[in-house]
Amino acid sequence: MAVTMRFIHYTHPNVRGIAPATFSGDRYSRADIEKQIDWLFGTALTGFEGSARDGQFPVDLYEDKDNTYVRAELPGVDRGAIGVEIVDGSLSIQASRKGKSGETESTVSFSRVVSIPDEVQADKVSASYENGVLTVTLPRKEEAKPKKISVSVN
Amino acid sequence: MSLLSTLIPSLSRSGANGEGGPAPARRPRYEIEETEAAYGLTVFLPGVAKDGLEITDEDGQLRIAGRRTAKLPEGLTALHVESSDAAFELVLSHDGSVDAGKISAELKDGVLHLTLAKAESAKPRKISVN
Repeated sequence: MAVTMRFIHYTHPNVRGIAPATFSGDRYSRADIEKQIDWLFGTALTGFEGSARDGQFPVDLYEDKDNTYVRAELPGVDRGAIGVEIVDGSLSIQASRKGKSGETESTVSFSRVVSIPDEVQADKVSASYENGVLTVTLPRKEEAKPKKISVSVN
Repeated sequence: MSLLSTLIPSLSRSGANGEGGPAPARRPRYEIEETEAAYGLTVFLPGVAKDGLEITDEDGQLRIAGRRTAKLPEGLTALHVESSDAAFELVLSHDGSVDAGKISAELKDGVLHLTLAKAESAKPRKISVN
């Protein structure tokens, strides 16, 4: 089932997405390391492995030769409240879940920014939400796809 | 409080039940709400669909097991993985305070909601005074 996406694409040259460190050397920064350590402490102390709490949720990043995929575990969030935005090199995911316990209503909000490879066709991004997992598919730009170039040797 | 305290997570882990598997089962997040007639149990099981879900009640223990059924397509390179493929398992003991025949369950968007009707003996009883 398609997710209603608010689609905003704007350029922000100085924005550094606070991303899970992708361990590719040049993208490692102090902010990444601190964020990773905070997250590690958070999950170690609560004992709830890889689950959504306090606005954080587990995110997986995959790619194949055509697309980059971002998968987020967001069980029970309101479909209409899922927001996906792309800012140069970063994907931002927002979601919220309304809970009712007895008479009181509460809202839990989730938000996370993930670094994505730059060569993405922003207008062809799609997302689906199934069984509590949000999957965002980001097609890579044609020029970025690995292409075979045959060279004839004289 | 007294009845709620009977719903304690059991200490048994997947290894005790003889399940080997690639990774030990992990405990999902859950919330319990008590009303006069029933307990409401909400379990967060992202990625679990009806075919990967198993709920059993035996010997005063309610066991919920869930497994992610969606397989990743072939040929994917993992860049960064935070979630886990380990199965979920939650065991709660209620020692008979729940009427096992009247448990209703609903699974939506990875959230399982169980309504556990309290056994007659566990419901508050009004005593009239002559």
